[in-house]
Amino acid sequence: MKLSSGTIRLIIPALSLAVLLAAVFYMQPRAMSYTGLNLLFNLAVPIALATVAQMLIIAVNDLDLSMGTFVSFCACVTATFLQASPAIGILIFLCAIAVYAAMGIIIHLRELPSIVVTLGMSFIWGGLAVLILPAPGGEAPGWVRWVMTSRPPFVPMAIVASVIIAVVTHFLIMRSSFGVLIRGVGGNFRSVERAGWSVIRIRAGAYALAGFFAVLSGIALVGLTTSADANIALRYTLLSIAGVILGGGEFVGGKVSPIGAVIGALTLTLAGSFLSFMRISPDWQIGAQGAILIVVLALRLFLNRLEKREKNR
Amino acid sequence: MTEAVLKQEVVAARGIKVTFGAVKALDGADLIIHAGECVGLVGHNGAGKSTIVNVINGGLSPHEGEVSYGGGSGEHGISVARANGVRCVFQELSLCPNLTVNENVRVTHSELKGWNWRARALELVRRQLEEIFPGHGIDCDSTVDDLSIAERQMVEIAISFSGANERPKLVILDEPTSSLDAGLAAQLMAYIRRFVSEGGAVLLISHILGEILSTSDRIVVMKDGRVVADRAAKEFSTRSLVEAMGNVVRELEWQRSATARSCAPVLTMPPRKGHGLPFEAHRGEMIGLAGLGGHGQTEALLDLYLSGNSNWWPERQRDIAFVAGDRSLNGTFPLWSILKNLSIASLGQLSSRSLVDQSREDLLGASWKKRIEIRTPDMVNRILSLSGGNQQKVLFARALATTAKIVLMDDPMRGVDVGTKQEVYEILRAEAKSGRTFIWYSTEMDEIRLCDRVYVFREGAIVAELTGDEITEKNVLAASFHGDEAA
Amino acid sequence: MTIGKMLFASVAIACIAGPVSALADTADKKIALSNNYAGNSWRQAMLTSWDKITKEAVEKGIVAAADPFTTAENQATEQAAQIQNLILQGYDAIVVNAASPTALNGAIKEACDAGITVVSFDGIVTEPCAWRIAVDFKAMGESQIEYLAKKMPNGGNLLEIRGLAGVSVDDEIHAGIQAGVEKNPQFKIVGSVNGDWAQDVAQRAVAGILPSLPEVAAVVTQGGDGYGAAQAFAAANRPTPTIVMGNREDELVWWKSQKDKDGYETMSVSIAPGVSTLAFWVAQQILDGKDVKKDLVVPFLRIDQDNLEANLANTQKGGVANVEYSLEDAQKVIEAK
Repeated sequence: MKLSSGTIRLIIPALSLAVLLAAVFYMQPRAMSYTGLNLLFNLAVPIALATVAQMLIIAVNDLDLSMGTFVSFCACVTATFLQASPAIGILIFLCAIAVYAAMGIIIHLRELPSIVVTLGMSFIWGGLAVLILPAPGGEAPGWVRWVMTSRPPFVPMAIVASVIIAVVTHFLIMRSSFGVLIRGVGGNFRSVERAGWSVIRIRAGAYALAGFFAVLSGIALVGLTTSADANIALRYTLLSIAGVILGGGEFVGGKVSPIGAVIGALTLTLAGSFLSFMRISPDWQIGAQGAILIVVLALRLFLNRLEKREKNR
Repeated sequence: MTEAVLKQEVVAARGIKVTFGAVKALDGADLIIHAGECVGLVGHNGAGKSTIVNVINGGLSPHEGEVSYGGGSGEHGISVARANGVRCVFQELSLCPNLTVNENVRVTHSELKGWNWRARALELVRRQLEEIFPGHGIDCDSTVDDLSIAERQMVEIAISFSGANERPKLVILDEPTSSLDAGLAAQLMAYIRRFVSEGGAVLLISHILGEILSTSDRIVVMKDGRVVADRAAKEFSTRSLVEAMGNVVRELEWQRSATARSCAPVLTMPPRKGHGLPFEAHRGEMIGLAGLGGHGQTEALLDLYLSGNSNWWPERQRDIAFVAGDRSLNGTFPLWSILKNLSIASLGQLSSRSLVDQSREDLLGASWKKRIEIRTPDMVNRILSLSGGNQQKVLFARALATTAKIVLMDDPMRGVDVGTKQEVYEILRAEAKSGRTFIWYSTEMDEIRLCDRVYVFREGAIVAELTGDEITEKNVLAASFHGDEAA
Repeated sequence: MTIGKMLFASVAIACIAGPVSALADTADKKIALSNNYAGNSWRQAMLTSWDKITKEAVEKGIVAAADPFTTAENQATEQAAQIQNLILQGYDAIVVNAASPTALNGAIKEACDAGITVVSFDGIVTEPCAWRIAVDFKAMGESQIEYLAKKMPNGGNLLEIRGLAGVSVDDEIHAGIQAGVEKNPQFKIVGSVNGDWAQDVAQRAVAGILPSLPEVAAVVTQGGDGYGAAQAFAAANRPTPTIVMGNREDELVWWKSQKDKDGYETMSVSIAPGVSTLAFWVAQQILDGKDVKKDLVVPFLRIDQDNLEANLANTQKGGVANVEYSLEDAQKVIEAK
């Protein structure tokens, strides 16, 4: 059977998730239940959304270092404006998405490195978050809380949400024309340009879509935590990047996989739980998490090589 | 006059002037293409061919002069050009490598909108591939990355010739056969003739003069940003074409160094894939690796390179230098200056106490600029400001500036003009005389004939060794195709 | 009925009856500590105290287990995941030192819904279902002025060394000092600097402001900064004022040396890292079925002239003066109104 490189790209993340899950179930059989799965994975939902957002930016060969502070900002808006006066909250989110699109335009027009621009923006988002919510607090809007804590029959919300995110983004990015163009810009923007498309519009669109998913991530996070904090999601910058790469994406060349990204986010969350169940001391936890990442990436490189060798034969 | 009226104008560029800084890329060039003709465009690298192609396809706005499509006038730009049926296949492959073949069709054909575009795109490219390259065997669902370089070029050509709603009026082919073997190239040329006879127009750019002469109706010769000749193809011969470009075909005037084999070989390799002949190279030899494209020559070069340099731990003093064929992928540092691109391999010699000595670096740059005539006002300009041929020269200079005794070359002359080639050949010859060994994979017979000794590759192994006067086109071809005849 | 069966039955009865007669009903209960950060001496001392007290408790059979967990990155979402993992692991109570007062609420609600007792301390949480053991930092600030008012009834000029700007603890202690000065108008704050709770920062800040100040009678501080202030005064050749200390070992050593030299008098106050053990006992009491109100106040650890030596002897080099709480202390805190 011949496997496409895209499928091979997905095998490793799926496999590592399965192995980790088996290990967690072995160590903690209680996790093998409706509530258990929900507890294991519900915090992965906002991470998965942030990872998808980061993936869109990576798809056009950029990197968003402001993801964590932006999600924090969105969480603060959700816990304050969206709760008190939904219209203003939605307006703020629309403006934030417009700012993301503008960021894409500026990065494209001025040929600026995205890392610098987004790093700068991260301070702006962080500042705005503190302005909106100087002290931790706020309250999740009822409907958000309802969505995030709803209990669908048979399958816990965390799994349902992850599958929905994976399927929707797969269609959006892997199957739709717009998704093809976004990835085309990452692969060879000149070719897209020569075909008569406006690369600037595609890039702005990719950024806006990323902004949209990051907003969803912030809302989902507040739905889980019930209130916000200006520093609530700082971890998400690196987690989202690691999730994309773990899920089979690559930093350049528009090689991304939305299903892989969601799996990557789940794997990262699970890796944390796994280490916690192992009772690894905090001094070693970050190192152990890094080791898991390295093992998975090494496996992927190994598989890529194998594939290449096969092809040359 | 009557002929011009009969044939409809597809594109007309008149009095085009384009300057990049101080460099005049186009200096009042005219190019008019009519429906139903194949126009051959030849000239040096740096003569302005790529620039005028970019003007015609709308990617570049001329500073003076005007471009009109289909006899109309006024607007200019990529979308206008595309709306008027102008398509382009570029010298450097311009598909999106991360997308599948049908997704690339979608990117190229914006009119493939709506539901089920995947199936329609697949059908379109499959039909077109079958038409141009019967029996191609390309899986159109696979990612472009997974295709070989020749397959990619075939796909790109097919996409350009296909039309979702209407067929293209003009297809510009910039070195379309650079990665195709002779059989595929012949198929393409035959298709161009069919396409033209059905009323399409083709602008063909190629350094293989035989292709141009046999396929074109009319040949336009450019030099220094101007059109210097524009006549029917049958009025040209190879010789007159080269003369028009400003080059004189130089006869082989050097003696092959037949004496070189007395001492021990400097580089050896056992038979590849367990059969065929072993490889060995001696000091001061020029060895050609011939055969059809993609039959293991590049892999052999890489293995030779790794036999002298560790894959893991680069040594300080390297014995082997490598000149890459695919310069945008393996060769140039696109953001660096020409000088930095040149000196990168010799930093060890140029530095004292781990710091690069700037004056020595400048000296090196200046001397090589003179020796191989890099056409630039200043060596600190970006490497991408050079034309393709000149970039390749810089890569040669990079290898030659090192102290390496052996230089491996992976089809480095792809897309380099005749004049530059001649200059490089002479440098190589002189270097070989002074004791350097060159191992040279080339797809062009002229270059193979320059070598002292030639190994012919077929299906990954060496099947023949030719020395001296045995190196003829006939012998090489016979060795390359031997298996097919036997079967 | 065979003898064997009788024996078995009596053992079983003894097992059931045993805990009733022993300390508590919590012998089969498991308590976890969810801690967000372990990167400074205070937190290290906190974890050490937890280990020491809970190990004893486990050995005595008061609880079945009391395991500490610390997150690696001091991030709220990470700790939320950790708490959810603890729920899965089947702990009966979770003692939390939280990274954020609000961002863990969702996870804590999950824990409460799963019937788990949650007790937060130091870094407390706002989720209503959790217990809170809070430090009254304002009272801590006020107590400094009260001490000074007793020591020098005539009052004088004060220099205030604040903590890290923008952190709520800093605001609260500052508010307490402000309130104390209002009540005792004989004192006047003539200067205020940020010492960031660090010895070197405080020294630099005080050295910078000193030339512009009139004679300073006393320095009010927030802890971690007293030794630096003393160094700055010495370097400027100014008489050493009464500097309120913050229980750090370097501060206590300096105080001791001054006391031995010329009978220098001051006081030292801070929250003891052993508060984690108080939270442990509170959790144990709740599990035991005691009715405990949701908001408790932890006493702070105050060192005076007479108990300086004893406290200093108990303090590790580079550490913080500490006290571990016992079950009785916890019961006292619970009963306090």
